[in-house]
Amino acid sequence: MQILDVMEKALEGTPMSETDYQLRRFAPKVQEKVKEYGIKYDPKHPIPDDGSLADDMFEAAIELLAEVGAYCTSTARVISYSEHEIRRAIAEAPEEIELGEGRDRRKLRGRKVGDKTPPWCLLGTGGGACSSDKSFITLVEGYAEIPETNGITTPALTRVGGMRIRPASPLEVLGAQRNAVLARETCNRVGREGIPIMNSLSTAESDIAFAAAMHPKFGMRRSDAYMICCMDPMKVDFARLNKVTTALSLGGPISMCYGPLLGGYAGGAEGTALSNIVHHMMGLLTYQASWLLPFPLHLRYVSSSCRELLWVISTTGQAVSRNSHIISLNLNYTSAGPCTTMCLFETTASVTAAVTSGMSIESVGVASNRYEDRTTPVEPRISAEVGHAVAGMKLSEANALANKLLAKYESKLSSPPLGKGLFECWDADRRRPTREYRNVIRSYKRSMAGLGVKLGEEL
Amino acid sequence: MSKGVKMADEKKLMKALADAILSYDSAAAEAAAKEAIKRGLDPLEAIEKGLSPAIEEVGKKFEKMEIYLPELMLAADAMRSSMSLLLPLIPKGKALSKGTVVIGTVQGDIHEIGKNIVSNMLMANGFEVVDLGVDVKTSAFVDEARKSNAKIIGASALMSSTIGSQKDIVDYLTSMKVRKKHAVMVGGGPTTGEWSKEIGADGWGEDAATTVKLANRLVKRK
Repeated sequence: MQILDVMEKALEGTPMSETDYQLRRFAPKVQEKVKEYGIKYDPKHPIPDDGSLADDMFEAAIELLAEVGAYCTSTARVISYSEHEIRRAIAEAPEEIELGEGRDRRKLRGRKVGDKTPPWCLLGTGGGACSSDKSFITLVEGYAEIPETNGITTPALTRVGGMRIRPASPLEVLGAQRNAVLARETCNRVGREGIPIMNSLSTAESDIAFAAAMHPKFGMRRSDAYMICCMDPMKVDFARLNKVTTALSLGGPISMCYGPLLGGYAGGAEGTALSNIVHHMMGLLTYQASWLLPFPLHLRYVSSSCRELLWVISTTGQAVSRNSHIISLNLNYTSAGPCTTMCLFETTASVTAAVTSGMSIESVGVASNRYEDRTTPVEPRISAEVGHAVAGMKLSEANALANKLLAKYESKLSSPPLGKGLFECWDADRRRPTREYRNVIRSYKRSMAGLGVKLGEEL
Repeated sequence: MSKGVKMADEKKLMKALADAILSYDSAAAEAAAKEAIKRGLDPLEAIEKGLSPAIEEVGKKFEKMEIYLPELMLAADAMRSSMSLLLPLIPKGKALSKGTVVIGTVQGDIHEIGKNIVSNMLMANGFEVVDLGVDVKTSAFVDEARKSNAKIIGASALMSSTIGSQKDIVDYLTSMKVRKKHAVMVGGGPTTGEWSKEIGADGWGEDAATTVKLANRLVKRK
């Protein structure tokens, strides 16, 4: 399936209104598959150990995609795929991708359930916003210095020349170009010039800004990765396909990211997990993706650490990794903010669910990524430490750990502590957390040791 | 009780209207409204006693996550099907809704889920809602608010690069000298209470429930 095939389908597919596709085609068909395959969420097992459930979900997802297709909002038509096309795309998905340069060049591969290989750690803000070049540089410098970092996900700049960036405007074009230049230069400053930038680029939301910032003169390389966000559910438009076409012409691997909402079009935990899995397949085809980045979120909490979401992450990882070699990284969000143990416990739970279930990670959107400059290099660092520590853990052990972690924060998800801002708890000059935050980390690591998970030395 | 309609019949007709909403069935809602009109049921009572309690119940279920977005939207669709038949029969001057809210996702932003939830929850709570969709120009918000005499404009933005358009709406209203006629509430992922104050909006809806409460406050104020 190539981009011209996708365009042909988008131009020739069955005409349908967006509302009809979402409400009368996608949503009921998801529930039909959930029922048909007897998919059932079990709150006692946020990280279930049931291979047949995962396998059923994968098959249900193939059927679902064959029956509902994707939807192009620009042409108001359904992009249909046959089961043969879907299975072929799954079989032909890349098994590995080489990213980065020099000593930071690494192979990103799919993982398996219980895999002892550490996850690929794509670290950063998960698209979080920062208010200035200063906070951008502080954050990226911090991410690049984390020993486990395999790739950087940069924050989104919100201002250029003192002006708030506007979509598809010269300010966005300049902001996206600045994002590329600053990210590369900042990695260079800390001796990790070769590290891949894998979310090209948070500031570039429009196709014009994306195309402008991808120009090699701003520092982006073929060994970086080009991330394009899908609209929930299963939607694409010409602007996104323009990004795909631009990225294909530049030769870098594309990632499709997507955030199905629990409580949204796919319904509860079961439907959201199914939607998460089917988006993997749809991304390979429609967005020409080489790797996938799901970030399922809870409608109310706007985070991925609650019990249902751990189940969604885990079943997605198990379904995809048991039945394919598709490369999938789960991006997690926390409800709580920096300098709180809750935030660290939340990211620990989500990362554990992903890594033990056969996924790699992008981490982390902090405090629902709602606030500017309310994230630090600490939270992704902890995520990476956890990712390495739990690699190889059995699902049953991971489930026990998840239940203990949930007990620490579950009741606080509806009104989480927002913690502190970047410069309130991170000392940019000394490139380390403040004393207060170090105490929080110490307390968190003591708790983790008590739960049998030994993490790295103090920051 | 409606003139000429027996109490037993009235109950049956009200139940049919409510059931249509609670089963998210537009065709049934349309049929129930037609039957109610045919049998002489007072259209105002049909809405106030049949449809409104049902859509409020749907809103509460969604709030508790007993149902999800598709059911909420389908129930609102069913409500609209009935209302389109009943509303024209109500004499002008009889206040039905709490007020009109013009809502949309701002220019350059195509995220719709949050806006859809708020739009449908407002409707479920007695507001008349004009939903302009996504990627809505600043002038379109204001033009529609003036046209439909909306008490409130609701502007949703999901990206840090698009929230600036919420400020444009406030500025545009001010420059058109109609700022006091239309309250502005803002919401969406990167928005906060501080942002709302900074741009001079009338309030921030953190989620659908708080937005409904905010809208209730704003209509009383206006």
